[in-house]
Amino acid sequence: MAIYLSILLLGLATALQSSVMPQIRVLGGQPDLVFLLVLAWSVNTRLQDGLIWAFVGGIMNNLLSAAPLGVSSMTMILLVFVIDAIRRQVYSIGLPLLVLLVIFGSLFHQLMVMMILSLVGHEIAFLDSLSYVVAPTIAYNLVVIWPVYWFIRRMQRRLAGGRPALM
Amino acid sequence: MRKWRSNRWFLLAFSMFLCAGLIVTSQIGLLAPVESIAAVPLNLLSGLFNRVALGLTNGAEDFAELQSLRERNADLEEALAQFQAELVELREIASDYQRLAELLDYTTTVSNQEFLAADVINVDTSGFLRTITLNRGTRDGVAIGMPVVTRQGLIGRVLEVSANAARVLLVTDPSSAVSARLQTTRVEGSIVGQLSGNLRMTFIPLGQTIPEGDLVITSGLGGNFPPDLVIGQVTSIRQFEFELYQEAEVRSLNNFDTLEIVLVVTNFQPVDLSIFQGNGEEDAGS
Repeated sequence: MAIYLSILLLGLATALQSSVMPQIRVLGGQPDLVFLLVLAWSVNTRLQDGLIWAFVGGIMNNLLSAAPLGVSSMTMILLVFVIDAIRRQVYSIGLPLLVLLVIFGSLFHQLMVMMILSLVGHEIAFLDSLSYVVAPTIAYNLVVIWPVYWFIRRMQRRLAGGRPALM
Repeated sequence: MRKWRSNRWFLLAFSMFLCAGLIVTSQIGLLAPVESIAAVPLNLLSGLFNRVALGLTNGAEDFAELQSLRERNADLEEALAQFQAELVELREIASDYQRLAELLDYTTTVSNQEFLAADVINVDTSGFLRTITLNRGTRDGVAIGMPVVTRQGLIGRVLEVSANAARVLLVTDPSSAVSARLQTTRVEGSIVGQLSGNLRMTFIPLGQTIPEGDLVITSGLGGNFPPDLVIGQVTSIRQFEFELYQEAEVRSLNNFDTLEIVLVVTNFQPVDLSIFQGNGEEDAGS
């Protein structure tokens, strides 16, 4: 089920990401919808489901980009593993932890993408990228995570028949 | 099998291996046919959303700009009167030039460029890369390296092409470099993109005059672009005593975030200079 739902939702998010989101760019930053969907889904689900979402989301993201296939998948898969490791250490991921995950997760995701793009030969201006792309993207993600998280939680509860998704 | 799938370290290693394999095969182009087919439904959906989003954005902007447009209209009417007077003067100069050119048997070669109109169907999902995708591909005669323009000037060049889509590297991408010159002073330099969306003209020799507001056009050097395509306008100059060159900030007349329709110059093929580089290396070796 996770894979069909992920293809549908992440496909829509990728299309929005490459069409509507550039219209609301601040400097070079825009909400990273695919990343936020993967993060919101992974917070309250099994590792395997999170990995499917990260892989599918990353592939779709890169299909509409000049970046090679697999770059976004690799960074988001690593993020899902980090979320899983954190979740096993705490009783539940509350809102303050979610905020921290968005900030540091976005930073980690963007830095990893920059690093991999740089390794495969793309010219990346690191300092400019931090101020023009990474910082505004984190700010946007902190705003957009709430509707995304609310939507994903409702969907996970509905799929689990009212029970918490992890059980 | 189930035991392996629940082992976190195995999953991590397997995922990283899979992604690394995808990156390498995609980078060397082995996945290009699969990528172009898989991107078709996403491109269609993205193109649909893009059209709706641009329609809404343009509508909202039109409404907000109505008042300022009225004021600008009054200013422009005043300016028009001045320009009409200048136009008469310039026509006189043009006719003088025409006569002199004929006297010198000077022939100007007019470049008959052929254009193919294309819709922008999506913008790069990565914030670090500045590319757009067009709804035209090899079936329409688009090839790698073809310049892409609008009425306002240069947009970029075709980077990748599939049967029905083409990815264009914008001039605002940091990896883009275009040989350029200033229209009035003929000073040469190189236009490189900035993540901020602006352009920077670099490698301008010290001592050369750079008038603010001057138009920057392609020089044609290097054979990647035809000459005389408008790139933008000089907005400011940066000059440091300890540097060998001076730089100029250039603003394109295009808004790269709201591109809808662009033109591909289909009868221009970039010149492949790699053969000379090969010979040079051989000569240096011998």
